Amino acid sequence: MAVPQWTARLRAGFFYPLLFALVAGCAQLVPQTVALRTGWPEGVPRTVELTDVPFFADDGYQCGPASLATVLSYSGTPVGIEPLTQQVFLPARQGSLQVEMLAAPRRYGRVSYQLAPRYDALLREVAAGNPVIVLQDIGMMFTEWHYAVVNGFDYPSGTLYMRSGTMPREKIPFSYFERTWIKGGYWAMVVTPPDRIPVTATEDGWIAAVLAMARTGGAQAATQAYAAALKRWPDNLPAAIGLANEYHSRGDFAGAVGVLRTAQQRHPKSVIVINNLAQALSDQGRNAEALAVIGKASDPQGPFAGEVRSTRQLILQRMAQQKSGSHR
Amino acid sequence: MSSTMKKMTCRALVVSLLALSFQTANAGMIGADQAAAAGAAQTDRGMVLSVLSRAETAAQLQAQGIDPTMARERVAAMSDQEVQTLAQNMQTAPAGALSSGGWVAIVVIAALIWYFAYRK
Repeated sequence: MAVPQWTARLRAGFFYPLLFALVAGCAQLVPQTVALRTGWPEGVPRTVELTDVPFFADDGYQCGPASLATVLSYSGTPVGIEPLTQQVFLPARQGSLQVEMLAAPRRYGRVSYQLAPRYDALLREVAAGNPVIVLQDIGMMFTEWHYAVVNGFDYPSGTLYMRSGTMPREKIPFSYFERTWIKGGYWAMVVTPPDRIPVTATEDGWIAAVLAMARTGGAQAATQAYAAALKRWPDNLPAAIGLANEYHSRGDFAGAVGVLRTAQQRHPKSVIVINNLAQALSDQGRNAEALAVIGKASDPQGPFAGEVRSTRQLILQRMAQQKSGSHR
Repeated sequence: MSSTMKKMTCRALVVSLLALSFQTANAGMIGADQAAAAGAAQTDRGMVLSVLSRAETAAQLQAQGIDPTMARERVAAMSDQEVQTLAQNMQTAPAGALSSGGWVAIVVIAALIWYFAYRK
């Protein structure tokens, strides 16, 4: 009976740990793919392919611009590789940096949103109709960064569909894709029109993305973005301030006052709301009301004390002018 | 260039950059980005630092082969945080580009193996 005992011992002492190590090793190599095998994200269809996503072939260093052209065109702003190369390509690095990939779509009035570094975020966005730009390391031996666009997946066969380089419909297994994706920290982004909030977007993340877009995206896009964000998160202060400022800057003081009145009900203590509301009221010619509003901002040490002081001065000045005007 | 001229150029650049970066066009209205910076309202000092890091990042982009106007426009589309990140890691951050470097290396190594191991 010595031999079976020996085998059993070998099995217990060597084989099982080895098996365990292999499985654990796999899990470490592609942890998220392994997790997907047992827990497919709820509510995501098994098979999705966004066939309308255009394809911009690139056989050189322009995979960044090509990927951006793909998602921008799909989001309704037709643009070619050439202008985008001007905006993201870095000659000395012979490639495009992630920050610039995020920055470029804003100039077209589109919002770029960096996804959470998870497979389920990627799958959810694709399922919701947003093609996703991903950063891969596709080097065989050395690091070789590459941008591509995921536009579909098929769970039964474990395949992702991508527009990548010169391949209009690259099929790549979930596990292999994760190996290429892991090194860039699972970096992924979507580009959407200003009123279309990505399904996986968080409130803070989306507001930050909208504020960044509002810098260069143009007044119309900014207005749409703030309005959509405010509709989704009615308590969001920056969205309300932003929307009111957009109305104000185009001369729609009544619109600004309307938005700020609602904001004031939700944030009675916000000095920014008080100051901007007083300013907008005064610009409407309602200086007495404006003075009453600005009176509520009492803290002389607050961060916006300077702005509040000058708004109050402006209101008083305008009231004095009105008085002398009516006496004349 | 004489040093006074240099100084004047610097001053002009600083002033123009400051003027460009003040985007709150609405007189008297406090900007939405101020509301987002919870508690940490942008002080004058913060504003100046942001302007300086923008100038620095634009200069770095120029050094990487971008023309000055383009560099400034590219920086303008970034958020303050992005500008600071980029200023720190422009040399090391991943730069996505499909290149043939890996294949060349594989071919070279395969050729070497063949040359030393199999050639008789």
